[in-house]
Amino acid sequence: MRNVFSRSSSLLRKLLVVTLLAVMLMIVDSFTSWLKPAYSTVDNLARPLYWIANIPLRVQEWSANSVTPRSEIESDNLRLTKESLIYHGQLQRMSDLAAENLRLRRLLNATELLQDSVLVTEVIGVSANPLRHTLTIDRGTADGVFVGQPLLDAEGLMGQIIEVHKRHSTALLITDSSHALPVQVLRNGLRSIAEGNADYNRLNLKFVSPTADIREGDELVSSGLGGLYPAGYPVGTVLSIVNELGDSFLKIDIDPSAEIDRSRHLLLVYTSRDSAAGATQ
Amino acid sequence: MESDNRGVAVGLTLVLAVVLSLMPLSGDWIVWKPNFLLLVVMAWVIHWPNDLGIFFAASVGLLSDILLRMTLGHSVMVFTLCTGAIALLSRWAKYLSMLQRALLVALIITVVAVLEASVFIFYGRPSAIEHLPMKILLSMLAWPFIDRLVARLQPKQG
Repeated sequence: MRNVFSRSSSLLRKLLVVTLLAVMLMIVDSFTSWLKPAYSTVDNLARPLYWIANIPLRVQEWSANSVTPRSEIESDNLRLTKESLIYHGQLQRMSDLAAENLRLRRLLNATELLQDSVLVTEVIGVSANPLRHTLTIDRGTADGVFVGQPLLDAEGLMGQIIEVHKRHSTALLITDSSHALPVQVLRNGLRSIAEGNADYNRLNLKFVSPTADIREGDELVSSGLGGLYPAGYPVGTVLSIVNELGDSFLKIDIDPSAEIDRSRHLLLVYTSRDSAAGATQ
Repeated sequence: MESDNRGVAVGLTLVLAVVLSLMPLSGDWIVWKPNFLLLVVMAWVIHWPNDLGIFFAASVGLLSDILLRMTLGHSVMVFTLCTGAIALLSRWAKYLSMLQRALLVALIITVVAVLEASVFIFYGRPSAIEHLPMKILLSMLAWPFIDRLVARLQPKQG
């Protein structure tokens, strides 16, 4: 019996010491950058584990591709050919509009619009922590990736690069609770800030006055303010607007345009200001 | 299994838990996924309380913090508190049935998760507390497999 109690008190002492050490570690990590090199080293060492963790997904993709019937491939091919034709047509119109826009901007002595180039990348890892929305992509410094670089999927803005290694990088998604993005309403140019709230399917619009001209269904695009994200990329659609009595601002939910938790192939954006080694138009 | 292989056994289960933790999932599954590393650590501490305890749990917690990109010290504290509770009860926990052990693990995880969520809510950060019941249920369902695996791998006494 005596042994049991002495064992318990020693255990409680250890528990107290380790808990205090954990609290100190949290304080040091939150307020300094002394421990950041540890993340980088362990991240590189853990690469094979990320690769192994992705095997079931790759097998699933491979099997889905392998057992697709010929008729489905043919109908997909036909659909993609049609879509390609439509997009080419739209692109020609876009070039025409871009040229006209440039002429008008010159007339106004405004800065020229920057032409963006992109690099295709694949997602090779997703953060397992549900409250931290990051993902790992298969491009790194060798491909000219840099911290702060915007990331898109086929539908809209996904996030920005926060860590770069030689052959891979980590991106913070726009739905992460620590992320904020300057946006504007496409219909009337109303500016605001879209913040993540750790939900892959929602963003919140901040600081919009109850008298502002905003409606459900309004499309939001990046405003380009802040200099990080290029202007004009789709961010989301206004899903709901709540005007609570006594609140200074509206509560607005946004449905993100990008398929944040589903997209596998993404685009890294380079504007003409960026060093674009390895980028393809 | 010879005791020389104990490190390999612990290492293998931890690698398996890391791979399961890092496996990408979409939709609500990412929030519901059990904390496999924590479950494996708790299983080892129940079955092998004299050799693996608080410091082992704290080290795995540190690894979890780095791999899951959490604030360093966060998982250290969660793993330490859960393992501390299990270690205090380990003499009795060994003799509980599988269902009773699963319930005990669920209870400890729930208490620690609610404490954790309270801290997040206090600081105005998202806590995902609404997904907690599903996460606990899935952890309970995963527990028998982890418990049996660890029981098979643990070194024979004496």
